[in-house]
Amino acid sequence: MSDDTVTGGDAPMHGDYTKLAQWLQSVLLPSDQDEPAILTQKNDTQLELVLTDDYHQPFYQQLPDFALAMLSGDPLATIHYTPLLYHLVACRPCHAAYLDFYDSLRYALHNQDYRQQFIQGTRTLSGTPHRMLAHLCQSLISQAEALLRQAHHDHSDNDEAARSLLQMALQVSSHITQNSLRRQALQDLVRVATLFDGPTSPRTEESNVYSYSPVMASAGVLRRGGRGGQHADDVLRAQRMQSAIIHLQARNLEGFIVQQDDMLELHLQHLDAALHEKQVVISVLLGSLLEPIRWFGGNPDAIRSTQAVDEQGTLVMPIGTTDLRLSNPEERNLLEALFLILEVRTAN
Amino acid sequence: MPFSAHDLRYHAEQSYPLLYAYLHRNAQRFLGSLKYDAFEVDTVIGHVVEQLVRLGLLGGGDHTPHAALDQLSDAQFYAFLNRSVRNKAIDRLRKRRLQVNTAAELEMADDDDSDNSPLNDAVESLWGATPFSTPEEITLHVTSQNELRSVLKHCIMVLSAAPNQLQAVMKELHEIGADELFEDIADELQLSLAGDPNPHISQHKDHAHKKLRHCLQQQSSHLTVMVALRITLYTKHSADKKDYSVEMSSLTQTDLSISDVEQGLHGLVTEGLLSWDGEEIVHLTAAQMKRLARFYKED
Repeated sequence: MSDDTVTGGDAPMHGDYTKLAQWLQSVLLPSDQDEPAILTQKNDTQLELVLTDDYHQPFYQQLPDFALAMLSGDPLATIHYTPLLYHLVACRPCHAAYLDFYDSLRYALHNQDYRQQFIQGTRTLSGTPHRMLAHLCQSLISQAEALLRQAHHDHSDNDEAARSLLQMALQVSSHITQNSLRRQALQDLVRVATLFDGPTSPRTEESNVYSYSPVMASAGVLRRGGRGGQHADDVLRAQRMQSAIIHLQARNLEGFIVQQDDMLELHLQHLDAALHEKQVVISVLLGSLLEPIRWFGGNPDAIRSTQAVDEQGTLVMPIGTTDLRLSNPEERNLLEALFLILEVRTAN
Repeated sequence: MPFSAHDLRYHAEQSYPLLYAYLHRNAQRFLGSLKYDAFEVDTVIGHVVEQLVRLGLLGGGDHTPHAALDQLSDAQFYAFLNRSVRNKAIDRLRKRRLQVNTAAELEMADDDDSDNSPLNDAVESLWGATPFSTPEEITLHVTSQNELRSVLKHCIMVLSAAPNQLQAVMKELHEIGADELFEDIADELQLSLAGDPNPHISQHKDHAHKKLRHCLQQQSSHLTVMVALRITLYTKHSADKKDYSVEMSSLTQTDLSISDVEQGLHGLVTEGLLSWDGEEIVHLTAAQMKRLARFYKED
């Protein structure tokens, strides 16, 4: 079917297509793609994801298959992967990734008896360096975002795949003990989770909606419990008590979540006078990502308070039950991540 | 306890610590003088981890189709990871502007595994060059292969909906001396470059290039051309000899699905090259057949 036998590399060419090829390259390669972005790290002190804007999911995921087809000498490889070939001219990061995969796969195929080294090291997530857990979380969240955006573009449905990646990111992040690192690991989670309904404009805080987020308990807060000659036991007890609470903050308002047996209880204080003696609706934005919480009313987006806010602006309301325990550090981290955004508004 | 590609796909949380340990060991090995630089080690590990996530393998479960890496044996998969680490480590060493001879660097590493030997590089040269190692090589290939060039032809034809843009591209083809392609399209569309030059030709050219970039990378363009080529190859005279027909199964062959063929047929209908409304047997008039054959048939 071909008018020549080229399969790439050093095969001979027939006919003079050089000028057409040069023209095609000028058409395909946008002028702003001078340097291969994939090989450059923006920041040389903090580990960052390499493929973000340059990640083209449908093409990238074909690269190893294409490389393997070429390595297997499949004569129809280039015909089956025609759009990918054109894309490789237009996208330097994908082309660099192709070269990388081709080389690694070629090495793998020529090393069928590769001697597997004994793997030393930890077997647990908690024992793995937490900065690398954070990097894994960021990779998973970024991948979920790419899947959702691609699905939106293709009018297809990748929700389940994206949800699975976000759930994994949440689970992995729960093993990160350092609050700031955990926060960094999940920094894009809320934004990506809101893409399930399609891309939206950036969230803006409505004046009649109170948007709470967890407050990271700093070491200083915990140490304060030790002042005044208290014993170490008292300090530890104070730390345990602190860790069994999720502190929340919205603008100048504070609240917290505690656990009574299986029940999670939301405490809000100093709510605006406009809310006094009214019932409110709570929305836990990430509430549907994980199943371990059985939300009252069944919908984490609309948990209606059974009581009204009192005259002091205080509200105590149960929001759901769970087998997770706030007293368990990893389970607490998981719950805290679920409450990254908790919104309170007046019930209609 | 080793891990496999299957473990990374279906048991990512349990396998990640082992993956990390494996990558860490190899990153230190290949980073040579940078082996104690935690940032560099993390960068190499992070690169491979990100690759595996982006490929849909790490944590992909059944949400992404099984692909090349799933077909590797465990030994091959470890070799693949090892090589990926090595390649990234060399990138980092180069980036740090160390005057490093890769082979010497590997020789200095504190592991005596055979894959760490500089002899590997000598063996590697026997494997031959990497195909499509430059964009130039790819464009030369796609323009010199009839099937692949047909996609380019198809995408230029699609520009006929915007005559000024088509004219701008045809003018370029004429100027670079791509006579065969130029004449094919000019004949099909009965075009002529005669007339006053368009004062906005540069703008039209930019728009046309943008559309071409998009069209050439579309699977739908590829399918339209594939199906057109197959129609020209497998279509037969119908029983009454008045027109031509081809069964869907002849168009799928072994590598296209029914939905792929349907997508291709819809593309040809949109271009006005075919009348088809979902029938199992595709019928063409003599005029349609002649037009398809003239434009898409193998040279």
